[in-house]
Amino acid sequence: MLTAETPIISFQGVSKKYPPNHVVMSDVNLEIEKGELVFLTGPSGAGKTTLLRLLFRAELPSGGKIIVDGMDLSTLSRSQVPYLRRKIGVIFQDFKLLSNKSVFENVALSLEVLGLRKEQVKKRVCQVLEGVGLGHKMHQFPPQLSGGEQQRVSIARAVVNRPPIILADEPTGNLDKIRTAEVMLLMHELNARGATIIFATHDDRLYKSSPGRVLRLESGNVEVVS
Amino acid sequence: MTLNILFRRAFSDIKQNLGTQTVTTIVVTLSLLIFVFFSFLYFNLERFVEHFGRELGVVVYLKKDLPPERIPAIFSTLQKMEGVKSVVYVSPEEAYRRLESYLENETNVLDDVDPGFLPPSFELEINRALFKLNKIRELANKVARWPEVAKVQYGQEWLHRLEAFSQLIKMIVAAGGVLLLLSAVFVVASTIKLTVYARQEELEILRLVGATNSFIQGPFLIEAFLQGLIGSSLAVGIIYAMYTYTRPMLAGSQLLRGLDYQFLPYTFWVPVIAVTTIACIIGTMFSMRRFLQL
Repeated sequence: MLTAETPIISFQGVSKKYPPNHVVMSDVNLEIEKGELVFLTGPSGAGKTTLLRLLFRAELPSGGKIIVDGMDLSTLSRSQVPYLRRKIGVIFQDFKLLSNKSVFENVALSLEVLGLRKEQVKKRVCQVLEGVGLGHKMHQFPPQLSGGEQQRVSIARAVVNRPPIILADEPTGNLDKIRTAEVMLLMHELNARGATIIFATHDDRLYKSSPGRVLRLESGNVEVVS
Repeated sequence: MTLNILFRRAFSDIKQNLGTQTVTTIVVTLSLLIFVFFSFLYFNLERFVEHFGRELGVVVYLKKDLPPERIPAIFSTLQKMEGVKSVVYVSPEEAYRRLESYLENETNVLDDVDPGFLPPSFELEINRALFKLNKIRELANKVARWPEVAKVQYGQEWLHRLEAFSQLIKMIVAAGGVLLLLSAVFVVASTIKLTVYARQEELEILRLVGATNSFIQGPFLIEAFLQGLIGSSLAVGIIYAMYTYTRPMLAGSQLLRGLDYQFLPYTFWVPVIAVTTIACIIGTMFSMRRFLQL
């Protein structure tokens, strides 16, 4: 049972190693409260992406325990993984959009897996696309959009099912200054509505001008920067 | 999750990959077509063998020196035997008359022959329900052991050859059927595997947004179901069309000796369609196993 004081994400002595002997994380202890905005920084290869992948159980830790919204990921059965992922919206640097599906269809995927009715899907997808300023482009296909627009579609897909946790893996890595500012604005709006956001970036300008905790991953350890 | 969404996704996939889907269905049809065609031939051949075998009677030749007063007792015993429908006694004189009639203009060969030189015999008509070659063999062997009987004839060689041929065809059809079904399943499963490879990115995104395995697998299973069902139904339909087209041509043919040429019974083709469809679904499930491991 999750109480107001219980952290929504908890790492307890988590380690992650890749064969033959590459240590990415060693004995990481970390707690993230509900509604927090956390920036995860560190040099390339420090393990930012690995930490996010551990959270949506694309990977399992080599040791320790990870609790996400009351679910212990080490003991989570394979059949329960989809239900964990419905609580987490993931945004990638390379957008991961399907080029043969329209903007509407890309965003609708997150709702179709929940088994929502066609009308409900339509209503919510339209609302979210209006929210990210792409209501007028819902019938276009990703290759017809700019990088910033594609990232906003990716954000819309991540948030359309209203997940309590959003993981963003270098979402502005491929964007110019103006598009980066647009994405940051959206992130702050989502956070203001109560979503817990973990934002991985190596761009220090992003977190220096934003509220939120900054964690630095280096040499397998996590340290609080601010 | 509603079936509605799975069907919508499946039909959308079929529309996007119509060419591949059609080719796969045609391969299933062709594989099944060969099997159904040979089954159809075998079915009619078996009926022909059975029909012809029933026409052959059993002839029991008695010893020439048999006292005539023993004949009614033998007649009565034969009549009571299981599988015997009727018994006709052929006296030496009747046999002689038949021989004369058979020889027609050549009767002079019988000029100095005693009219009673042929042995008396019984002609047995076999009950159709009982007809099985081994049953007739049993009956003939049993009667042949009686001391009054000289010889028993029932067209052994003919029936043995026909039965051996029929068994050979049966084995070929059964083995061929299994191989063709396996090849059809292999083609369907491979096509689905290729489709899955081509759509790996989509499956990855589906997994990411929380799709369950049944949501991911559902549309592919629906596609396999349709390919198996349509492919096998088409094969049965083509053979049925061939049957209705050729039936009037073969009606009354001397070759068939008045036997009605028939289509395969539904107890055969319904299971063939069902097994093909189920096999295509199972093949697809196996080919997708690796992709569904999270």
